[in-house]
Amino acid sequence: MSDVAQSQPGQLEPNTLAKPDVRIRIKAQASPATTNGGGGTPLRIANSSVMSVKSLYKSYGKASVKVPVLKGVDLEIFEGDFTAIIGQSGSGKSTLLHLLGTLDAPDSGEIYYREQRIDNLPSRHKEHLRNRQFGMIFQFYHLLPELTTLENVLIPRMVQDGFFRYMKNKRGYRKRAIELLEMVGLGHRLTHKPNQLSGGEMQRTAIARSLISDPSVLLADEPTGNLDSENGREVMDTLTALRKNENLTVIMVTHDDSLASKADRVIQLVNGKVAGI
Amino acid sequence: MYKLLLSWRYLKTRFIALASIVSVTLGVATLIVVNSVMAGFVDQMKNRLHGILSDVEISTQMFSEIPHPERHVEIIKDLLGDELENATCVVRTPALLSFDVRGRQWTQQVMLLGIDDATFGKVTDFEPYLTNEIKQTRFSFDLEESGYSQKKFKGDAGWAYRRSRIEIQRRIEQNNREYKQLYDNAAAAYLDSAPSLVDAETNDQATPKQVAGIQFAPLPDQLPDIESEFAADDSAGEWQNDSGDKITEGYNPSDSLVKHHQQQTEEGVIHRFSPFDPHAQYRPEISKEELFDPMRDQRTGIILGLAISERKAETPTGEIQDVYLIRPGDDANIMLTTIGDSPTPVIENCTVVDFYSSNMHEYDSSFAFLPLASLQKLRGMVDPLTGDGSVSTIQIKLKPGADLDAVRDKLIAQFPPTYFPEYDIRTWQDTQRPLLSAVKMELTILNILLFLIIAVAGFGILATFYMIVVEKTKDIGILKALGAPSRGVMSIFLGYGMSLGTVGTGTGILIGLLFVRHINEIADGVAWLTGQEVFDATIYYFSEIPTSINPGTIFWVGIGAIAIAVLASVLPALRAARLHPVEALRYE
Repeated sequence: MSDVAQSQPGQLEPNTLAKPDVRIRIKAQASPATTNGGGGTPLRIANSSVMSVKSLYKSYGKASVKVPVLKGVDLEIFEGDFTAIIGQSGSGKSTLLHLLGTLDAPDSGEIYYREQRIDNLPSRHKEHLRNRQFGMIFQFYHLLPELTTLENVLIPRMVQDGFFRYMKNKRGYRKRAIELLEMVGLGHRLTHKPNQLSGGEMQRTAIARSLISDPSVLLADEPTGNLDSENGREVMDTLTALRKNENLTVIMVTHDDSLASKADRVIQLVNGKVAGI
Repeated sequence: MYKLLLSWRYLKTRFIALASIVSVTLGVATLIVVNSVMAGFVDQMKNRLHGILSDVEISTQMFSEIPHPERHVEIIKDLLGDELENATCVVRTPALLSFDVRGRQWTQQVMLLGIDDATFGKVTDFEPYLTNEIKQTRFSFDLEESGYSQKKFKGDAGWAYRRSRIEIQRRIEQNNREYKQLYDNAAAAYLDSAPSLVDAETNDQATPKQVAGIQFAPLPDQLPDIESEFAADDSAGEWQNDSGDKITEGYNPSDSLVKHHQQQTEEGVIHRFSPFDPHAQYRPEISKEELFDPMRDQRTGIILGLAISERKAETPTGEIQDVYLIRPGDDANIMLTTIGDSPTPVIENCTVVDFYSSNMHEYDSSFAFLPLASLQKLRGMVDPLTGDGSVSTIQIKLKPGADLDAVRDKLIAQFPPTYFPEYDIRTWQDTQRPLLSAVKMELTILNILLFLIIAVAGFGILATFYMIVVEKTKDIGILKALGAPSRGVMSIFLGYGMSLGTVGTGTGILIGLLFVRHINEIADGVAWLTGQEVFDATIYYFSEIPTSINPGTIFWVGIGAIAIAVLASVLPALRAARLHPVEALRYE
């Protein structure tokens, strides 16, 4: 069940591109919001920062065998940009993405999402962010094998709503899910299980799933890493098309320079540090 | 929502987990079967115990008495008012029952109850347990012509049986008389002819002589003493009748007590029917006894517990056959002592008029019933001045729903032990407490043991679930990455455990109920398969396995089993909840 944080006085609406159903309230820790969508037409603020990272450190392992992965990363992601993070294996790009997606917590440093610090939020707020604000795509698709394509796409909505609320909204969710699946070209595969789909189809299902909650940031971890060039190109086309249609900010981790060349910005990570933008 | 969906999908796709709850199913089924059979057994037993014991009774020691029982009953009626259904007075005393079985005397101890035929049946379930159908509706201590049900015992009973027995006996006696006559004649003829053969000098009749070359058989030393000869004959007492059946003769002259009693009785000479009694012709008065015709008349009616007479015997072919030592229509002796300062033994000749068959072996093998008035007279419990009889027990039946313990306490308050130390007031449950509590204890221990079986099944579920959580690590990571809280992930597995438990328990309840419903057929089937009788009617005195299904028990068994399944899934669910999403996603 997704958390519905209680609206409390003194809390701010941090989401400038607020969707009508977004109910998150994050305790104000930074300065007040600079813009306010107010539920009206989404505002496109040129070059406004969606996410920013300040001197991020992260290492894995126990104290004696600590392996530093990120050694002071500073970067900024801008609204509506297609940002590619590239780097060698082990350069820490996947870790960075996990940190951006609140799946993991940094050792030190700060991560801001729309000027809210998110790395030290309580877990239920992080869950809420992951569910509503971030869409995630993984290299190994990570679909649930017991569920059909359609159900896999609907899972974030199921996580978001309680049983009765979901039942009430089910029709709209299904319609949206089918719409998304048709958009990624899987309208004919609604009742197939993941093991009946090809790699490209699975990844496109994962993309549809990442979009079902209408997120504002899409985090993609080597989305084409496990696909042949044909399927990889299809997935990339879908992503670029989406960015335009859905007004998304896309952050993609890849080690493929040719894919990165399609991005608006490329951030290169070398040995746990930003080497070039 | 996703929790329900995923629990359901896991249930549908993980058959190994279903296998792990087969033990839950079996445990639940066993619990239900055992509880139902035990409850059925207890119910039957309680019914039967309660049947003869009445709700509450006031009793005294064997040699004490409750004087003026009618006055007591009036007081009890006033005291209990609407709660009282009925009350009856009973004389209860141990006694010796003796009768002849194929010429040998059979004596055993019985619990003799003198009962009031008008009210006893209204206080206890007495009449339905009689074997005679006429007596079940219209009770009396008379021997019946017919109506002896063949359901409870096999073979002849009643007047027709009595007459045929007497007829055979009389024919034998006739034969014996004729034989005696022949013997007497022959002896006389021998003695008549004897003098010529007697040695004139010694006049020794006993010495065999060879006269004119003829060898005579040696003469006995004395002429036979007729009385002792017949007495010896009696104790041998066994003849074959025409059809080859062995029959017995009811008189045992060696019983000095009988003779003693015969001489003591005031109402003339009540000796027992015996044509062999050599003194019969010298008895001066015509007593009731001499007018007594066993073909027409019966003695005091007595009802015996069926198990006193019935013996189960296995024939060489393996069938269970019933053998009856005594039947309705036969005569038997009751021997008991009078009450008072100097208890003296008394004896009463009775005719068995029916059997009592409650299927409670304890009662059937020890109870005998006489009419209250006869027993009071016999034991000297009748006041010679007023003619009032005293009793030893007052049995009380209450209206359904009355509080037995409260009534008992009221009665104790009315007849306080300080003034009536000899009165023992108790409910039927007090009387049977040791037995009832033993059964209850047994049931409790069995339930604990069987719940341990389900607990073992719980550990099976725990192991299986742990494996499933490990297998599902990646999925858990995905759910967490999609924003599912740890609580939600945990409840997927708890829900999974609960649905497995529910399925297992439901199946178990169904199997258990079906098993209970067809338990006797199953017992027969097992007996047929193995050749070994599962439920031996000769041991249990139940014709079939009694069962009683208690919805409350089933409810709690179900709740308990589901709880165990859920508890077993807590640990794996906690592990799932604690998984770190990044670690889980990296898991390939």
